[in-house]
Amino acid sequence: MKHLRSICTLLFGVAVLLFYGLAYPHHLHYQEQYQLFLFDSTYVWEIVRVPGGLADLLGRFCTQFFLYAWVGAFIIACLLTLVQLLTLRLFNVQWFYGLSFVPSFLLWLFLLDENALLGGVWAVLLTQFAICGCLLVPKGWTRHIVILITIPVLYWMVGPSWTGSHYHRYPTVTPYLLYAAWLSAVILPLLVHFFKVHGSWFKVQGLSGQRQQIIHFSLFTFTFVIMMMIVWKNANLKAEKVMQYDFMARYQQWNRILETINTEKPNNQIGVTVQNLALAIHGQLVNHLSDYNQNGIAGLLPDVERDATSPLPTAEAFYQLGMIYVAQRTVFEAQEAILDFQKSARCYKRLAQTNLILGNYEVARKYLLALQKTLFYRDWADETLPLLGHEDAIAKHPEYGRLRRYAYNDNFYFSDHVTSEMLESLYFSNTDNRLALEYLMAYYVLTGNRDSYAKLLHHISAKQ
Amino acid sequence: MKKNLYTFLLSHLLLLTSCLLMACTETVSDAKQENALPQIYPDYLGVTIPVNIAPLCFNMADETVLCIDAVITDHHGNSLHSQGEESVDFDLDDWRALLAQNRGDSLNITVSAKYDDGWHTYRSFSIFVSPDSIDYGICYRLIAPGYEVWSKMGIYERDLSSFDERALIENTQFEGCVNCHSFNRGNPADMSLHIRGPHGATLLCHDEHPTPNTHHPSPLTAYNTKTDQTLGFCVYPYWHPSGRYIAYSTNATNQLFHSAHHNRIEVFDTASDLQIYDVEKNELLLLPLLKQDSIYETYPVFSHDGRSLFFCAARALPEGSYELDSIRYNLYRIDFDPATGTFGSRIDTIINAETQHKSVSFPRPSYDGRFLCYTLSDYGQFSIWHHEADLYLLDLATGESRLMEGANSEDTESFHNWSTNSRWLVLSSRRDDGLYTRPYFCHVDAKGQVSKAFMLPQRNPRRFYRDRFLSFNVPDFIITPTHFDGYKASRIINDNYRKDFGVRTIN
Repeated sequence: MKHLRSICTLLFGVAVLLFYGLAYPHHLHYQEQYQLFLFDSTYVWEIVRVPGGLADLLGRFCTQFFLYAWVGAFIIACLLTLVQLLTLRLFNVQWFYGLSFVPSFLLWLFLLDENALLGGVWAVLLTQFAICGCLLVPKGWTRHIVILITIPVLYWMVGPSWTGSHYHRYPTVTPYLLYAAWLSAVILPLLVHFFKVHGSWFKVQGLSGQRQQIIHFSLFTFTFVIMMMIVWKNANLKAEKVMQYDFMARYQQWNRILETINTEKPNNQIGVTVQNLALAIHGQLVNHLSDYNQNGIAGLLPDVERDATSPLPTAEAFYQLGMIYVAQRTVFEAQEAILDFQKSARCYKRLAQTNLILGNYEVARKYLLALQKTLFYRDWADETLPLLGHEDAIAKHPEYGRLRRYAYNDNFYFSDHVTSEMLESLYFSNTDNRLALEYLMAYYVLTGNRDSYAKLLHHISAKQ
Repeated sequence: MKKNLYTFLLSHLLLLTSCLLMACTETVSDAKQENALPQIYPDYLGVTIPVNIAPLCFNMADETVLCIDAVITDHHGNSLHSQGEESVDFDLDDWRALLAQNRGDSLNITVSAKYDDGWHTYRSFSIFVSPDSIDYGICYRLIAPGYEVWSKMGIYERDLSSFDERALIENTQFEGCVNCHSFNRGNPADMSLHIRGPHGATLLCHDEHPTPNTHHPSPLTAYNTKTDQTLGFCVYPYWHPSGRYIAYSTNATNQLFHSAHHNRIEVFDTASDLQIYDVEKNELLLLPLLKQDSIYETYPVFSHDGRSLFFCAARALPEGSYELDSIRYNLYRIDFDPATGTFGSRIDTIINAETQHKSVSFPRPSYDGRFLCYTLSDYGQFSIWHHEADLYLLDLATGESRLMEGANSEDTESFHNWSTNSRWLVLSSRRDDGLYTRPYFCHVDAKGQVSKAFMLPQRNPRRFYRDRFLSFNVPDFIITPTHFDGYKASRIINDNYRKDFGVRTIN
């Protein structure tokens, strides 16, 4: 009987692991890129000093591991499994064994939303821990005192869960699924516990062990199948695809991008932007422009929007092109647009790079020193810090040196919209910038500017 | 990755343990005497400080130092000692007592630093304790020095005699941003504050019959300052000394970004006018002379006696032109009669910066009527983003302007305000890293002599300023804690009710 329950729990955990590892990995990368977890006392204090801060802190701590999707999937699997085990502990009524998975499934559903924060899961878990802890205390006055002490401590740890603060990136969104999970994990077991004490109608009597096992497994299977269907139906696999393109651009996986677009042509703005960047990196943009979905120049270098997501792949294109000021502005704005006011390790890294390239060494140092307090960006920051102020080393650096050489010679004003003049100025600042040439030609093609295209071809042939 | 994690966590645990067990408390012995002055952060060497300022804690500029030790001595035989691994942190009470005993005198500071090869003691330097005290605190906006999008930000007050900082209001309490806080000569009883975004409003605190020395904040009202006869919302405010009027500009502001220039952003107006708000009558006073289409008028400030209005103005660019580097603001003055709320008919040119190919911004007259401090940059009116911007002091008696050398640096100096005794200036500077604005203070004596500026003290300045990815915007003195009720303010902001301004045109 006990083994059967363990197997069911294990099956559930494996299902969560496989789901996030195989079907939803880029949702985890997405989560990770909108926070900057620092091993720093000031940072920790700023989080934990407010109600709900501990759950928030634990959520953020775990989220930093989402940089590696399988690690993130494992963490989520462990947390959801733990919720189920604690629910079972609180909710130990044989007939309703399958229902012990309900809170975990609700949390799973909650986490399908890319803006749902892991702190919510920790809020549920900490509440369960607190209740279990109180139940361990012998009945009587001692338990009452412990409960009285636990309530304010718990409030500090998990905070006003009902307002949803810390648990969803959109401050105006009410995380109903989280509430449902919290209620099902906490309130229902308490009710059941009450009835268990005061009534006998929950008890299963007169059934053989084998029949009880069948009932348990049937209840588990029923709950599992229903919940899995709901999870799968609510999984945003379309968003996952978009996030995959963003991820590939972030890690400059140009070959993988080409493989992906040849399997399924992207038809969303981020996908098309990344597709065009990868094609241009391979020198295939102009020749294969019509082979893929386009969205005019909005698919080439879209206007910068005021959100945290869509500008990042465009910023990657700006950066690769050598439009460093534009890239810097785009990344900075994207980071400022993060709705829960967190900072982004990805953005910090890029801002350190752009400031380094532009020679703003003290500003670059500020970002790098912050990244030194992270777990996964520390090594990179350590490697980059010595470059600051060393012009020769930067000039010889394969990336920064190249991007410095591509810098604009002429100053002009720009805003949200990329114009052909910006690309012309970029290309003619350094005609070795093949990426700028690809983009300029593509720009002419997409805007139907045949005269400029012909003049550019003439210029290229004259140069050769 | 696993190894990386273990190493990281273990190293931090060891570091924490070693910090606890091996706090830097040693006697400076066998120190090598250095002829050089110490390189400390912030640079407090030779500064003049007010008698009631918070302790000037500092770090060694060289981060390889293992321990730092400082001894402050005075001419009465008193001394104050502090030692630390990262910074010296003087005891607040002892510091206050020492400064009180040395009002108008110098203090001598001897710094020693421990390196791998032992202690080094540097040449002593002095700081002068001015008998002129500074106001209770400053109020500022904290915001990332970005472009058009903002993250968490708010308005904060800081007690200058300690390290206490308190938020008045933050944008976590409503959707939008907050800017342009303004007080009447540092008195929080009269306050103007703009809210931008979907809950846009101008919050006004004003008590017509203020009771001195009470902690009851003035009533707070949310206004809609946009009228059908004006360009838009009220923008840059300045209180009339009587508290009855507020001079506002109204600006159509745009931003463009440089592709290859060390000044990364250009903030400019495509139109701007001036208007005076009569608080008692709830009426905007409009003067055609101050709202000309061919002129950009901005940054209005009243003179110390309230009988003049200084402002900046430039010839407007032709429509569609983006020759932003040709926009140059001069400083002008017009008479104002506070009894009737009427203006003179003549505009005087006070500083013709255009002829020097320069541009004036942020004029701020001292409250004693002696000086006017302003920012001079190459062009435009938003000098915050101009690295070449410097502060100048205009002697209002002689009409002579001169560079405030002690206050300026190689980088941006922009916004500034006077203390209520007109002896201290708080100024925004980007000298630290070229991007993040920090508040600095300098002393200006009766003759206009400007002392070397010093940075707003912090317990561990390097750690504090390094970890804070925010700029201190629009620093202004306050004479008492504001007692601003942020919760109540957020309720008013989130409420739809806005009181409209009336309008009266003066011919």
